[in-house]
Amino acid sequence: MIEILSYGAFFLTMALTYAVIALGLNLQWGQTGLFNVGIAGFVAVGAYVSAILTTPFSDGRLGGFDLPIVVGWIGGGLGAGFLCLLLGALTLRLRSDYLAIATFGAAVVIQLALLNLEALTGGPFGISFIPRPFADLSDRANLFAFANLAVMVVLVLACYAALQHLVRSPWGRVLRALREDETAARALGKNPVSYRLQAFAIGGCVMGLGGAAQGHFIGFIAPENYLPTLTFQVWAMLIIGGSGNMRGAVLGAVLVWAIWALSGSVVSSVFPADQQARAASLQIVLIGVSLCAVLLLRPRGILGEAGTLRRQPKATSTPSEGQNTHD
Amino acid sequence: MSDILRVRALSAGYQPDMSILKGVDLKVDAGEFVVLLGPNGAGKSTLVKTIAGLVPIHGGSVKLRGEEISDLPAHLRLRHGLAFVPQTENIFAQMTIRENLQLAAQILPKATRAGRIAAMMDTFPDLASRPGTRAGALSGGQRQMLAVARALIVEPEVLILDEPSAGLSPLMVADVFARLKAINASGITVLLVEQNVRAGLSIASRGVILVEGRVAHDAPSADLADDPVVAQLYLGGRAQEGAQ
Amino acid sequence: MMLQPIMDGLVNGAIIGLGAIGVTLTYAILRFANFAHGEMLSWGAYIALTLSGLLGALLPALATPIGPFSFGWSVPIALVGSVVLTSVLALAVDWLLFGRLRASGAVTIILVMASFGAALALRNLLEFIYTSSPAYFTNALQISKQILPGLRATPDQLLVLGLGAVLVVLVHLLLTRSASGRSMRAVSEDPQLAALVGIDTRAVIRMVWILGAALAAVGGIMSGVIVQIRPTMGLDLLLPLFAAAILGGIGSVPGAMLAGLFVGLAEAFTVQFIGAEWRAAVSFVILVAVLLLRPQGIFGKAMA
Repeated sequence: MIEILSYGAFFLTMALTYAVIALGLNLQWGQTGLFNVGIAGFVAVGAYVSAILTTPFSDGRLGGFDLPIVVGWIGGGLGAGFLCLLLGALTLRLRSDYLAIATFGAAVVIQLALLNLEALTGGPFGISFIPRPFADLSDRANLFAFANLAVMVVLVLACYAALQHLVRSPWGRVLRALREDETAARALGKNPVSYRLQAFAIGGCVMGLGGAAQGHFIGFIAPENYLPTLTFQVWAMLIIGGSGNMRGAVLGAVLVWAIWALSGSVVSSVFPADQQARAASLQIVLIGVSLCAVLLLRPRGILGEAGTLRRQPKATSTPSEGQNTHD
Repeated sequence: MSDILRVRALSAGYQPDMSILKGVDLKVDAGEFVVLLGPNGAGKSTLVKTIAGLVPIHGGSVKLRGEEISDLPAHLRLRHGLAFVPQTENIFAQMTIRENLQLAAQILPKATRAGRIAAMMDTFPDLASRPGTRAGALSGGQRQMLAVARALIVEPEVLILDEPSAGLSPLMVADVFARLKAINASGITVLLVEQNVRAGLSIASRGVILVEGRVAHDAPSADLADDPVVAQLYLGGRAQEGAQ
Repeated sequence: MMLQPIMDGLVNGAIIGLGAIGVTLTYAILRFANFAHGEMLSWGAYIALTLSGLLGALLPALATPIGPFSFGWSVPIALVGSVVLTSVLALAVDWLLFGRLRASGAVTIILVMASFGAALALRNLLEFIYTSSPAYFTNALQISKQILPGLRATPDQLLVLGLGAVLVVLVHLLLTRSASGRSMRAVSEDPQLAALVGIDTRAVIRMVWILGAALAAVGGIMSGVIVQIRPTMGLDLLLPLFAAAILGGIGSVPGAMLAGLFVGLAEAFTVQFIGAEWRAAVSFVILVAVLLLRPQGIFGKAMA
């Protein structure tokens, strides 16, 4: 019983770290319509920055500043946000899908950097001994698990409230206006590029924060945790929950994480050890197919208002900066 | 009863819940020259684009020679003898004059293509003098000529033009109109959208005035030009035309 | 010292170029960045591998190497089959996914996203069928020959270069001289006007998928002959493909090929002078540089 409870708490804690990441993506995609294909990279930056800031000093690795966890999380968020700012500045004035290509490329390079900058990142083995919140409770499994869960619940609520506030502020109204009718918003003197850039950077910040928190709950991180599959999982969470909808993002995170964990354990119990890798790839095939199916059949997600996914009227489907002059 | 183009109770618009055309009836006889007039926003452009197959239809019918064409995609309507010249972006600017004509001639049988291209070059000597020029480098008037040549190359029965005079100098407009007159005289039915009511009525045999997505007046040009109501509403000048 | 990376870079660049032509054409005509294009290279390679394996098993004579090359007639025959089947695959994906999204009026970015989902499904399906361990067309090892002092190449590598050059010239001629090529350029410039001059846009779109998939299949097979076949080969090539397509200028076939060669050379020199582990970063650096300095690419007309 105790074990089930603490497993449940652990499961929910993990799911909620994904919820934070999905909330960040929701600001980028659901509210602003920016397609980020490099989520895994930004999450990794958040996790690694925080790990480097908070781990104790260790020989043969740069960093290890032994700072408080909170500082690490803030650093992780800022690191990922700054990276988003750079990529956005590079591509947002161009065609809408250049951002997708650039974020995809960034994730590839971040993965390379994690693997090869051994002095900083620990290379393929990653970083371990990342301090966990309430580490002094760790001999009391239940209490420890619930304390961690409580931290995560607070973090999700804080992100939720902050994002809700942002979306409802005048700033958020401009974002929505840009999404609904760019021409009209431009006519009011709003510069779409700068608003989108801000939204992209803030979303990246939230993603980095989620990545940082995740690293601290698991206790160790390695490059293989940040492969494109992660990007895809987060997308599945947002799309299934319903993009543009923050409650949907949280719900989708818990749901998809549950499906993932469950199907993972089914795979490992049903398939013989030598076939498990194959079965796992089938798992991803199914998620890929269901993402496409959702796009085709239920573009608003399970719960969801989705301004970005709706058919756009002529005026707004002629993309901003005169990219496609004919449509 | 030799109508070649017949539009009945046509409603259409870009969005499913917003019709710009609200039940248009229009009949064009074979060999006629009809000008489509009306204030800005009345739906003139939308009407001709709908006939050409570029705007989704919400209701009504479009018949060419008695045959329903409203469910045909745009590229097949041309093959049925209906050619459309849009107001802007009516030539391929990245391609040469010759390539523009070759492209348009592609739907003809192979054997006749070269002949038709040569015929267009004869008709429009301006184009013939430099077939290798990129169409994007042409002047406004030359672009319209190329667009018209491109449409005529397939020998359509009906030629529809959306404001070919827009942005041209008066001299060029006169030239374009003279061409259209000659094209009509050669037996091709012409439906022309025109902003300038006087100029439009002066070359067409019949005028149709569209207001708020419906046909408000439909009469021979001479009658319309003499009609005091029409004169007051639409001949007063551009200020009133923009009232919508 | 300097010549060898040039050779290696050109060979790899020819493969990137063939893939990039497909990316640039889909981008110019269907108007979205197709993240699933890399998978066409992988699928092309695996289909050919399966076909040539079958042929070799049925008629062992086909497996004996042709002349100086490492492979027998089973590979070129399988290439033809793979070109056909990969095109069918691309058309099927379009019919199932992209075509329906286009018909529903989806915005560009939804198509990009769908291509991302399709890529993941296609790639993992390969991994499911063939596992993640690398496969080879042949076990024969090729000895590279001295061509110039300091420059060695295998006959396979020279063949890849030659075939790449021939294909680019053919595609370029097809686009500039033939009626179908004119139609493709017309749709790329203005789909609506293209319909008004009587071009069936759907037919042009089918042609683009077939052409893109066929070149991808050839590129994938070349990569399989020179290096190896893995389910992730398309994913690994995707960033170089995008970098080459954008550097060359969207819609430009010679641009895509030249830029592909450039990316290949840059990778080879990076491997030589910086280290093989940073090879995958080269394309990103090129991409960032192009987007900063000349977003329309070398041969791009300002945003077609």
